Formats: sequence, C-alpha cells, structure tokens
Amino acid sequence: MNSLSPEVALSRISPELRPLLCSVVRNGRVGLDSTNCLRITDLKTGCTSLTPGPCCDRFKLHIPYAGETLKWDIIFNARDPELPPDFIFGEDAEFLPEPSELPHLVAWDAGDPDCLLQLVKELLQQYHQYQCQRLRDSSRLLFEYDSLLEDPNYGRSMEIYAGRKNSWTGEFSARFLLKLPVDFSNIPIYLLKDTALDPGEDVALLSVSFEDAEATQVFPKLFLSPSIEHALGGPSALHIPAFPSGGCLIDYVPQVCQLLTNKVQYVIQGYHKRREYIAAFLSHFGMGVVEYDAVGFTKLTLLLMWKDFCFLVHVSSCAGCCFCAVMITKTHRHALN
Amino acid sequence: MAASISGYTFSSVCYHSANSNSDHEGFLLGEVRQEETLSISDSQISSSEFLHIVEVHNHEPCAQLFSFYDYAGKVNEENLNRILKDRRKNVIGWYRFRRNTQQQMSFREQVIHKQLTNILGIPDLVFLLFSFISTANSSTHALEYVLFRPNRRYNQRISLSIPNLGNTSQQEYKVSSVPNTSKNYASVIKEHGAEFFDKDGVIKDIRAIFQVYSALQDKVQAVCAEVDQSERVKEKIQEEVKKLKEEISLRKRITAAEERRHQESLNTENHSLQDDSALSDSSSPPSLTRVLLQSPPLEVSLDWPPNSTALPLYPAAPAPPSAILLPRPQAVGSPGHPSPSLGLGNGDGSSSDSLNRQAIGQEDQLEEEEEEEEDEDEDSSEYENLVSERLQSPSLTDTAVSLGRPAALWPDGDTHSSGGSS
Repeated sequence: MNSLSPEVALSRISPELRPLLCSVVRNGRVGLDSTNCLRITDLKTGCTSLTPGPCCDRFKLHIPYAGETLKWDIIFNARDPELPPDFIFGEDAEFLPEPSELPHLVAWDAGDPDCLLQLVKELLQQYHQYQCQRLRDSSRLLFEYDSLLEDPNYGRSMEIYAGRKNSWTGEFSARFLLKLPVDFSNIPIYLLKDTALDPGEDVALLSVSFEDAEATQVFPKLFLSPSIEHALGGPSALHIPAFPSGGCLIDYVPQVCQLLTNKVQYVIQGYHKRREYIAAFLSHFGMGVVEYDAVGFTKLTLLLMWKDFCFLVHVSSCAGCCFCAVMITKTHRHALN
Repeated sequence: MAASISGYTFSSVCYHSANSNSDHEGFLLGEVRQEETLSISDSQISSSEFLHIVEVHNHEPCAQLFSFYDYAGKVNEENLNRILKDRRKNVIGWYRFRRNTQQQMSFREQVIHKQLTNILGIPDLVFLLFSFISTANSSTHALEYVLFRPNRRYNQRISLSIPNLGNTSQQEYKVSSVPNTSKNYASVIKEHGAEFFDKDGVIKDIRAIFQVYSALQDKVQAVCAEVDQSERVKEKIQEEVKKLKEEISLRKRITAAEERRHQESLNTENHSLQDDSALSDSSSPPSLTRVLLQSPPLEVSLDWPPNSTALPLYPAAPAPPSAILLPRPQAVGSPGHPSPSLGLGNGDGSSSDSLNRQAIGQEDQLEEEEEEEEDEDEDSSEYENLVSERLQSPSLTDTAVSLGRPAALWPDGDTHSSGGSS
C-alpha cells in the first residue's frame, strides 16, 4: 500500500476534485481517535489511459475506527466532477447505509470543500450503528454495550467494532474503544509543550478487546496523547489494572478513568505544591536566591551564610512530585567577596 | 444458475465501455429459461435437477450516469421507461463499467439494484460488473467481469460463459439460441435476401441440393423397383426350374420303372428264346447308354453352400453323351465327398464305395441293356425326348442368360449358376 503525503496525493487528484480532498487530508479528523488523520492511498483514474494527467478520481480512504483502520474506496468521475461519489466499504460488504439519512449525499454540493468530509462522518455514524447491531450475535457483549450506553459519560464517546463470527469455533470477538472523560486542561503547559508534533486534542482512549463472546479473554489497553503521556511521566508511569474475571465494562471503565484522573490530579497538585514550595522559599530567603525553575518549579538554589560559613542549598524535585532533595555545598566567605 | 452472453453482445458492451471516458452503465436484455434434467442411476430411480439459465441477447446502454436515479440512488421510473421503452419486458439485469476498482458492488449499485428488482418485478435480477484494470505504466490492461446475483445471500456470483470463446479445438461449435434482433441485419437481409433466399426464407442452394437429393432418391427408388421386379422374375424362373426338375425326375422314375418291367418281361421271353437273343452291338441305341451313363442317382444335392466359391463339379457346358462317368455329387462333409475334380474317387486315391457301386451298377446295367434293342429304342426315344427337351429348353436358358445369370442346363436337369443360387 503506497502511503502518500497529502501534498503528493493532492497533486495527482483531478483539479476539479482537489478542494474536496484538501479538506479531507488536512482537516480530516473523524471519530474518537482524532490524533490520526485520514489518509489517502491507491490513487487511480476512471479515464482512459490516453487522458492527460492529473486525472485521478478514485482512491482508498483510511479511516481509524475503534482501533481498526477502515479502508473505503471512494469513486468519483473526473469527467463529471459535480456528481457525488460512490463508495465500496471494503470487507464490510454487508454494510448498506440508508441514503436518506445522509444529508450531504442527498444534497451533494461539489462546490463545498467540506462536503466530502461531512459525508464521511455521516457514513461513519451509520457504520457505528451497523456495528452495534452486529453485537446482537452475543448477548454478553450486547449487555456490555447497553450498560455503557446508559452512562452519559461513556455512551456518547464510544466506538465498537464487532469482528466476524468464526464459523468453525463459533467465537465472536469485539472491541470497545472509549474516550475517557478526563480533564487534562489543568495540566501545566510546560508539561505539554515538549512534543515533537502537534498532537491535537489531548485524549485518553481505553481499548477493551473481547476475544470471545463470554468475556473470558479480555485485553484492555490505554492510549494517551503523546503530550499527556509525557506529562504523566512516560509510558511506564501509568499501569492500568487487568480486567477482572467476571467483571464488566461498566465497572471497569470508571475504575480506569478514576485511576487516570487521580494521576492527572497528582501531577497538577504536585505542580502547585512545588510552586507554593518555591514561593515559600523565595519569600523567606528572597535575598539568597541564586536561581530557581520558574516554569516547573523543580529547582531552587539558595546562598546562605552562617557565622562565616557560606553554603549553597540546592533544592530540587522531579516533575509531578513534591519530593525535594537538598544538597549543601560549602564555600568560603572570601570567595564570595 | 448459469448464464451466458453472446459474443457480439459482450464485445459490444466492452466496446461501449472501453470508449467511455468515465464510468458507464446500461441494461441487459435477454431471457431466462429453466431446464430440467432427469437422471436415472442405480442408486435412485430418478432425480430431477432444475437449472436456471440466463441468456443475454442484447444490451441497452445509458447515455450518461444518473440518467434514471438521483444522488441518493432513488430510481425514477419515468426516466427508466424512457430509456427502456418497449424493451422493458426483456430486461434481465443491468451492468456497470468502472475502471480501476474492486470487483465488488458499490453502495449506490446495491441501492439501485434493490429498487430495480421491485420496479421491474424481476426477483432474480442480475448485475454485471466490468472492471478495467491497468498497470501503473499502462503496459498491461485487463478487462474483468463478474456477474452478480445480488438478491441472493452474500451477493452470489454466477459464472458467465461466452459460447464459442475458448478452446474450440476441444469443443463443438455451439449454435446459440439467441434470436437476432438487429434491425440493420433484418433490413439488409430483406434487401439482398432474394438473391439467396426463396419466398419461404430458405437458402436457394439448400433447396437445389435438396432437389438433387430428391432426384437421387427417385432414381434409387426406380432402381429398387427394377431390382424387385427382376427378383420376382428370377424367383418365378427358379420355381419353373424346380418344377421341371421334379417333372424330369418323375419321368425318369417312370421310365426306369417301365424299363424294369420291360426287362423283366424280356428276361422271361429270353429264357424261351435264348438262341434268338440278339446281342446289342455297338450301335445299340446310344440313348439308352446315354441314359445309363448319364443318369445320376436321384439324390442329387441341389444345396449349394451359400457364398461359397466351390468349384462346379460339372463342367459349364453340357457334356456329350459319350462323356466319361461323372462322380455323383454329394454334400460337403459327407463321407466320400468327392474332391473338386472331374475325376473319380476321393482326393486320397481311393474311391467311394457308392461311386464304385454306381459305376459298377451302371456298367452291369449297360451290359445287360446292350443286348436289348427294341425296348431301348422306346426308352431311348423317351430319353431322347427328355434330352431333346433338355436341349430344347434353351429359351429357359436364354431367359436366364438374358437376366444376367448364366446358367447351364445339364441333361440331368441340374442348373448351375455362376453365383450363389437362392
């Protein structure tokens, strides 16, 4: 699969269709996992080989959904750019959305650059409904879904991908992707800025994979935005508990959510505590302050003297905690003069 | 379910599609028939199998996309009727052509197909998908086609066959039952057909050949009649010959009986007239001698092995009265069966006793009868009559000869033909 950069993809697209795809590749964030953008691959043309380029009018759109990547074929006609596209939903051959519930298809406007993106979002909504319908093959998983749906904290931010029922073993698998309602807004900015790329919205996604319909093999996984992960101390800073045997999502998800919330609060409180701590040192030993970390409040150096004995006091703490370490360095008075 | 499409329809669809600079669609026209196959095997008495066969005869291309449906895929029946006109009843499916896409029904195609199924009232409406795939450098192009049966589960795919497209060296050329619906073809045939077709629509050459065939049949029938007639004549002649043979043998018996009686009477007279007995000289009626010499036993075997090339035991031409003593014919396989030679005896040099006896009996009889003249004359005269009758029956012989069956009449009445007798 040839993954093309947005610029390359746009350069090969038919000029009449370029505005539509520009909105998709640049602003195309759909679903819960908004950290991953929509990707375009396999650009092809529906014109004859004698038609001069660029004339690509059909491609494969990669859409992240519930931990999977949907690969939908979108088919335009370069000779008729005003016409709406057609779709092939990859392996989900049985997925047939209701056209009347796709407003941006019924009233397709080729002049609106966001029309295609909006249409894709509407299709995803129907795809989500289609996957939820497929959970009916397993009463256990359907119960999990219904119980989460009733909770407003999780019901509205949930993606479900129901796998194929194994005709040999009768096994049925599914994956729940939930967006945890954790507030990351109070995380100090300095903790979030040290990232290579702009991660977009800070989210925490909990993925729970049921490998069998009776929930005997459940594998949870927590996905954090890079900045959040960095703010919390890295990938190893947070470990979520294993899914309890016989447990259910309605109990487990809040537990994980609380754990994450506590961790975030700990980080925030640690920051504030350190700031207060440094402020107290400053107010008491303001004339002896050599230097201090004014962003993270993790370091402070004081120069003190006691009966001709001068010394430096280094106070430091790691980000996210209030633990302080003090180191005293002896110096001579005449060196200070 | 099986499906077939005529070669010209397939090529026409491909031509329209390949020349289109975008996706292309249209309708398939044809018929659906059902075949029932009854099979009888040892395991079960009979089993019937039904097979639906879809035959595509023609296609109706749409001028442009979205010609009979809107953006949401809702079919407009008025536009549909305008496209199909009076061919709506012949619709069996529809097709779509799109380049460089998967061989899978798209979202809009499925929506449209469901509506067409309901509007046209065809439960088993088929969908033919053409895909034209080219490599990146445009060096290789592949035209792929798949026939779907979307109203069945999992969008069942049906194999589509094109008659006479394939390895024709191992297949018979199939005559398609597809009717020719081309108007241009009909007009051309109508204009120039008189040169080749007669008023009944049959090619003239065929009729001429049929006339030749009929003439040949008439001739054969006539020859059959002639053969039949000649066979009847031959049968009649054979009947006559048979009757004559019987008559001859009857006369012989009568003659022989009279001679015996006469001989007996003479013997009684001779006893009293021994001195007056006159020996018959060499001038004794030769007819009697001829009779004695040339009268074979009555058990003449007229059966001749069929299709045999047995050499005639008798020469073809009538032998003179002074002919040598001929072997008595016997059935093949019988003891003492004479060798196919004119001489006496068997092939091993020995002679059959019967033959010897016959020869001896004939010689004795000759010696006895040589002494008599009067009665011999009468007998000889009668025998001469027989002989003369024999000799005077050339008409019969001539008739046989004229019929192409050379036959030779022996004094004894046997006839031998060159071919196998009936």
